[in-house]
Amino acid sequence: MAIETATPVIELRHVDKHYGPLHVLRDINLSVAKGEVLVVIGPSGSGKSTMCRTINRLETIDSGEILIEGTPLPQEGKELAALRAKVGMVFQSFNLFAHKTILQNVTMGPIEVLHTPREQAEAEAMELLRRVGVDSQAAKVPAQLSGGQQQRVAIARSLAMHPTAMLFDEPTSALDPEMINEVLAVMVELAQEGMTMVVVTHEMNFARRVANRVVFMADGQIVEQNSPDEFFDHPQSQRAKDFLESIKGH
Amino acid sequence: MSANVSMRDALYEAPGPKTRRRVAIGTGISVVLLLGLIAFVIRQFYVNDQLNPRYWSFFARWTTWRFLLRGLAGTIRVAFTAGIIAMILGLLLMLGRISHNRPLSVACHVITDLFRSLPSLLLIYFFFLVIPKYGLRMPSFWMITVPVALAASGVLAEVFRAGVNAVPKGQSEAAMALGMTHGKITRKIVLPQALRIVVPSLVSQLVVVVKDTTVAYVVSYPDLMQNARVLISNYDALVSMYFVVALIYIAINYATNQFSIYLAHREGTSIMSRTTENPV
Ligand SMILES: Nc1ncnc2c1ncn2[C@@H]1O[C@H](COP(=O)(O)OP(=O)(O)OP(=O)(O)O)[C@@H](O)[C@H]1O
Ligand SMILES: [Mg+2]
Repeated sequence: MAIETATPVIELRHVDKHYGPLHVLRDINLSVAKGEVLVVIGPSGSGKSTMCRTINRLETIDSGEILIEGTPLPQEGKELAALRAKVGMVFQSFNLFAHKTILQNVTMGPIEVLHTPREQAEAEAMELLRRVGVDSQAAKVPAQLSGGQQQRVAIARSLAMHPTAMLFDEPTSALDPEMINEVLAVMVELAQEGMTMVVVTHEMNFARRVANRVVFMADGQIVEQNSPDEFFDHPQSQRAKDFLESIKGH
Repeated sequence: MSANVSMRDALYEAPGPKTRRRVAIGTGISVVLLLGLIAFVIRQFYVNDQLNPRYWSFFARWTTWRFLLRGLAGTIRVAFTAGIIAMILGLLLMLGRISHNRPLSVACHVITDLFRSLPSLLLIYFFFLVIPKYGLRMPSFWMITVPVALAASGVLAEVFRAGVNAVPKGQSEAAMALGMTHGKITRKIVLPQALRIVVPSLVSQLVVVVKDTTVAYVVSYPDLMQNARVLISNYDALVSMYFVVALIYIAINYATNQFSIYLAHREGTSIMSRTTENPV
């Protein structure tokens, strides 16, 4: 297990959520310690994305509590925006700003939210783009980049905010196989540098290599959680066994 | 980003030999029908003595054209001014409607629907007959321009809103995740993309504005239509004059439409690449 500190970076307490009659999150309790890498895994429709998105309130919850570094997530307005700025998010579909250049994508947050002077924001952005290996593309627009490059830019865009934690919702699912590794490599490096991460992914090698804990979800519930080796080699529940069997196929 | 340019290719399969033959036959039939229609119109003109030089000779005089061109200038002035006002007002109405301020949002929604559903002629009568009763005298230019602008602003607000809705949700979600506020997201992320999407339909809506200006005679503003009416009563030449004026309106609106098609093609390509050239 990761180093436990007094206050978890992310904490969910008895979180429930419905979409109409559909009970998508059922009494979710989860806490992520500083520097911990948590991998969330589970069948399609089990609520992984929804849980991930509630953590920075892209989805509201019906009941329960979500705390970021001990502070309850505000409901709206400037306070909510300020807390969101501390939690980076990487989407399956990249969601780079289509009308902005790669460099502008990365400087947007620092300039508009942190009020960093433009020169400084650009220097930092170039440094981040170098780190993820796309600095040569800085003047292009997103549509001109490959999926793998766009996702690395999206990671750089999040990092530019100096987040205390990062959420990844299936960051490699929309990528061609040959581009998956270049994105995973960036994420492995981040994990090794001690970033607190919640990663929804089915990449088992990634999970075994860097995850401190694997959380298995089904039907909106956390069914079991364990260290990656324990979980993948000795799943406890029947649901997890069935699920692991089904993804071994490919 | 050649999505717009190749829209035709995406919507229609490339025609094969059979289809091409069918298209050729169809084209032939249409041409024959069209020629027949024109011949019929000319015949009807002739039968009703509308081809009599008496009805057409004054078109050879410069003063006739000068008077019509003055009217055309009036039409363009009204349409242009009303178009600008409608765009600004339409944008404001849409922004108010999507704002998180509930009363403002409801108010803008109601005003938009009101302007959209009232016939512009009714609005014109309101400014022409009702408002002066309360002591506000406006020049005839504004009596036609303001109501036309108001009517168009309701429609344009909806056009803008369609553009905002067409921007993928992921764009504003990514901005939210960065900690940007609703106002900043609208200004920096959503609006710039929405405006690019709506430019062509915006220009097409100007055609409606131009058509709306034709009721300027109600307030005796000398636009193309009003001046044509003056000439009609001077020369007693109803059909020939309306025929020529119709051609002029068709020409204006055809040009406007061509312009919007041109913008639609440009929209995907050069606006995007222009952003590339000036990174910051
Ligand atoms: N906006 C929405 N409105 C209604 N139902 C929704 C909405 N978003 C998700 N759902 C439903 O909620 C359930 C959980 O969805 P969620 O996207 O969280 O699953 P997931 O575990 O991320 O699945 P996947 O692996 O396919 O991404 C699904 O049944 C989905 O159909
Ligand atoms: Mg999902």
